[in-house]
Amino acid sequence: MTATAKKAENQSQFGQTVIEGSNVTKVFGETVTALEGADFNIRSGEFISLVGPSGCGKSTLLRLVAGLIEKTSGDLFVNNETVTKPRTDIGMMFQKAVLLDWRTAIENVLLPTEVKRRVKQEDKQKALASLELVGLKGFEFHFPRQLSGGMQQRVALARLIQTGADIMLMDEPFGALDEFTRERLNVELMRIVGELKATTLFVTHNIQEAIFLADRVMVMTPRPGRIAQIIDVDFERPRDISIQTSREFNVIVEQVRDTLGGH
Amino acid sequence: MSYSTTDQAKHVSVFRTLPVHLAIFAGLILLWEFVNLYGFEDRIQADMIAPRPTHIGLAMIDIFFIDKTVWHHLGSTFQKALLGASIGTVIGMGLAISATLSETFRKYIKPWIILMEATPRIAVGPIFVALLGFGLWSAVALAALVAFFGPFVNTFQGLMEIDEESEEMFRSLGASKFQTFWKLRFASALQLISAGWKLATASAFGGALVSEFIQASEGMGVLIAQYVIMITMDYAFAALLSVTIFGYILFKIMEYMDYHLIFWQNDLLMLKVSEKRRKKMGVSS
Repeated sequence: MTATAKKAENQSQFGQTVIEGSNVTKVFGETVTALEGADFNIRSGEFISLVGPSGCGKSTLLRLVAGLIEKTSGDLFVNNETVTKPRTDIGMMFQKAVLLDWRTAIENVLLPTEVKRRVKQEDKQKALASLELVGLKGFEFHFPRQLSGGMQQRVALARLIQTGADIMLMDEPFGALDEFTRERLNVELMRIVGELKATTLFVTHNIQEAIFLADRVMVMTPRPGRIAQIIDVDFERPRDISIQTSREFNVIVEQVRDTLGGH
Repeated sequence: MSYSTTDQAKHVSVFRTLPVHLAIFAGLILLWEFVNLYGFEDRIQADMIAPRPTHIGLAMIDIFFIDKTVWHHLGSTFQKALLGASIGTVIGMGLAISATLSETFRKYIKPWIILMEATPRIAVGPIFVALLGFGLWSAVALAALVAFFGPFVNTFQGLMEIDEESEEMFRSLGASKFQTFWKLRFASALQLISAGWKLATASAFGGALVSEFIQASEGMGVLIAQYVIMITMDYAFAALLSVTIFGYILFKIMEYMDYHLIFWQNDLLMLKVSEKRRKKMGVSS
């Protein structure tokens, strides 16, 4: 872990630490260790992919950071504060778009604001802008059932942007979409988080996707859930989808596979 | 945007089957008329067991437009049924909401609900009459008692069906329990809740009529019973038919309301509502 920490220090394009975990452990019930002794250090503006098979604790880790569940032991800080409950500086996206069917796209996007306070004119302007940013201009007043799966996830992303959170947690957000839609959304997601300079934790079980998006990939292994390795991904941004066929890219893929295969 | 063809298909099939339905109906009425005319040896017996449809029709015209007796009684039964349905719905939904919000309440109310379900509620009618007298309120009480169950069960079921991921999304937004309840759970349950309202109205009607049969001075139950006692069966049938017609109209009104309330189940309606919301927010298309 010390080697990784040193490497992180070298990555000068990122700001200070925003998420820090040391020896974070989560036990469900009394016997199921979903996550054991996780150490990590995520800096402002970084894009981190969490990759691993089901049961490796990646979703658990995400939910711990989100404050949706409580850790069993260890230390977990977000912006130097111990995480105890959901925070306003963290936004989430799930595998399902979880939109409200009776609300138009823009009304869904306005939900985070509505939960906090009265919706003002400028919030509506911001929602329109968020929808435009995710490529849904012209669909603001469509209902979820009138939109395709990919478009629904775009609305969910706009809703996440609307929260104003600078930490974005994504739990396999494109996992239920077809390969083509997923690939296109990945490219757009990279552009968007880049524009917003958000810190992103992205859970996936797709190795290519994990590497393509990330500055660092945390490889996780199951039984018990552990962070087995943290790999730097140094491709320049903006990245083109074609890097996936490059030799350097596939060296990293092999590296991830090796780590996962050993378990 | 493409909308599904189910709505159009429905209309087409109605037009195709309507003549057949009408023919079957006319045939049955005709058969009935003939049975009355040629199926009995005794005329009095014939008119008692199967009063002629033409006589029933004439009786309808009489009670609606000449004698006009039916309006007053219809009004009375509707008043009892609607009051009973409303009270039953408020109680049923109130209990259901409390039961979903509090596990303790849920635990303690359960045996009472089972007890209520096991009791034939109509049978409580005479007791209500004894307690509340012959007037409006014993009928309303019985209507409410039989009506409350539908909204209770449906509201409870709708509110307990929780989508874990949506709940988690609301939690991640830092939404309060109250906000999650109204914006997510209640709204998701609306479809079932609205179905509960329809059930309540239908059963409240039954309750009101039964209580009128037991004891009352006005209402369709009274009218039907009076005609039966006077052995004017054509009028009794006419009164029964009026209940059917007005019950059907009420049911259609409720269906229409339901259709617009749960607009997101219908593609055409969604387009309309979408345009309305756009105007409301002041964004041009």
